[in-house]
Order: sequence, then C-alpha cells, then structure tokens
Amino acid sequence: MSTLVAPFQEDLEAITADVWGSFLDVDGDTPLVAGAPHRWAEHDATTSAVVSITGAWQGHVIIECSARAARMVAAALLALPEDEASEDDVADAVGELANMIGGNVKSLVASPSALSLPHVVTQPGSHQSWPGAEEVCRIDGAWNGEAVTVMVYAGVNEGKS
Amino acid sequence: MRAMVIDDSRAMRLILRRILSQLDFEVTEAGDGAQALESLNGGYVPDIALVDWNMPVMDGLTFITEVRKRPELRGITLMMVTTESEHDQVVRALAAGAHEYLMKPFTPDAIEDKLVLLGLARTGASA
Repeated sequence: MSTLVAPFQEDLEAITADVWGSFLDVDGDTPLVAGAPHRWAEHDATTSAVVSITGAWQGHVIIECSARAARMVAAALLALPEDEASEDDVADAVGELANMIGGNVKSLVASPSALSLPHVVTQPGSHQSWPGAEEVCRIDGAWNGEAVTVMVYAGVNEGKS
Repeated sequence: MRAMVIDDSRAMRLILRRILSQLDFEVTEAGDGAQALESLNGGYVPDIALVDWNMPVMDGLTFITEVRKRPELRGITLMMVTTESEHDQVVRALAAGAHEYLMKPFTPDAIEDKLVLLGLARTGASA
C-alpha cells in the first residue's frame, strides 16, 4: 500500500517529459519547455482533458492547452497534417495524453485508486475550475511556441495529514 | 504473425499499428474488449493481442479473463499495454492470464523487446 499523499512537482515533470519524449518529441528537438514564452490570448479556445483518480486518493490530472497545440498533438499522434485533425481526433489524442500522465500519477498516490476515462472539452476563453479540489503541482510551458499546462489537483482533504 | 491491438484510443491504436507493421505483423484493431471478443468469435485468431486496461464497454482485464476461459483461444499471447503501473495491478493482470505487461508511455524498442522476449519477433527486426 502506497503512503504518498500527493505527487510532487518533480514527479509531474518527470512523467510529462517521459510522455513527451515517447510520443511528441521523439527526436528530442521539440520538448515541452516549462516557463517558456508562448502565444496565448484570453479569447483563444482552450482544450482541456481531465482524468480523475478516485479511491484511497482523490484528485484530477488536467491538461489545458491552446486549440492549436491540441491540433498539433493530434497531428503528431495520428501522423496526419495539422489542418486535417478533426475534433474527434483532437479529443482522442489529448485525452490519451491525459490518460498516460494520469495513470503514472496514480501509481504515485495512495492505493487502491481507480483512473477514470478521459473527458475532453474545447471552449473559448477561460480555464475550467475544479471545485472541491486544490492544485498541488503544475507545469506551465510551451510546446512549439503554443501554451500547454499540466496540473494535478487533489481533493481538499488530501495531502493534509 | 498476426497482432490485434485493443485500445479505446485511436491514436494509441495507430501508434501500436505503426510499430507492429515495422516488425512485419499483420495488424487488426478493436476499440474495446467486447469488439475484440466479437472479432475472435468471428474466427480471427491473432498470435498476440496487445490490450489496454481502461476501456469503455469491456475493460482489458475482463477481456483477458474471458479469453482465458476458452481453451480454443489459449494459443493467443496476451500483453497488457497500459498506464496501470502499480504492482498490484500487474499481479492481477498476470493472474488473469496475461503473459506480459508494458507500461505507457513506451518506446518502439520496448515493444520490440517484449515481442522478442515472447518469441514473436527477432532482435533488430525493425532495423
């Protein structure tokens, strides 16, 4: 039985780098760079993918990115031109990223816990909120100049014991 | 050699298809365990099935359990390819009848290494 109550920042960075290196930055020349400048405007559409962890540990793993970054993820994973990526392609690809990062986060928290299937939404402007949960670690970065954020939220009673 | 990729993500199915095709596998796909069982019931029997754990309709663990109940399907090698990486989960999958277990994310080399280990590919087959 795991005793960790929450993943640490360095865990999230390692997991995310691993996922990027395996599927989105295979040649090592387009990493997700934390803190790097990126194109972002408040009116831009945001694609969010979330997987929830329930059980001995409760929380969410969330990817938020610009709609362009989401299309680039779909293009990379599905090996098609960016302008041919459909909404379903984007939902599938960004959802699978959240699934991989979320599954690896789940391995670090208290067990037994279960991972939900990913939910993906694209909406204009503001970021989503996660009532009943608080952020425990996050990466704000840029991938090919586009905004990508990866966050872990824990239930408000997690990580305080 | 014939491989069946069972994953609800089209992106993941495509990634695995590309890797397996480079290793000269003939690849079919299913979006969940129920679809895969339907395909097996239709007479398509692969040499190996690469099975995700978390899928809608029928998850990978249930699929493996169902396949292992049927003696006529015992020739299929079953490999979990999943983000479920806790030791308990690996033990459950192996106890249900999986031969191998690979965690996502993976590299093409990791897939090839597992297939070599299972005697289904030669070292350097994708070179």
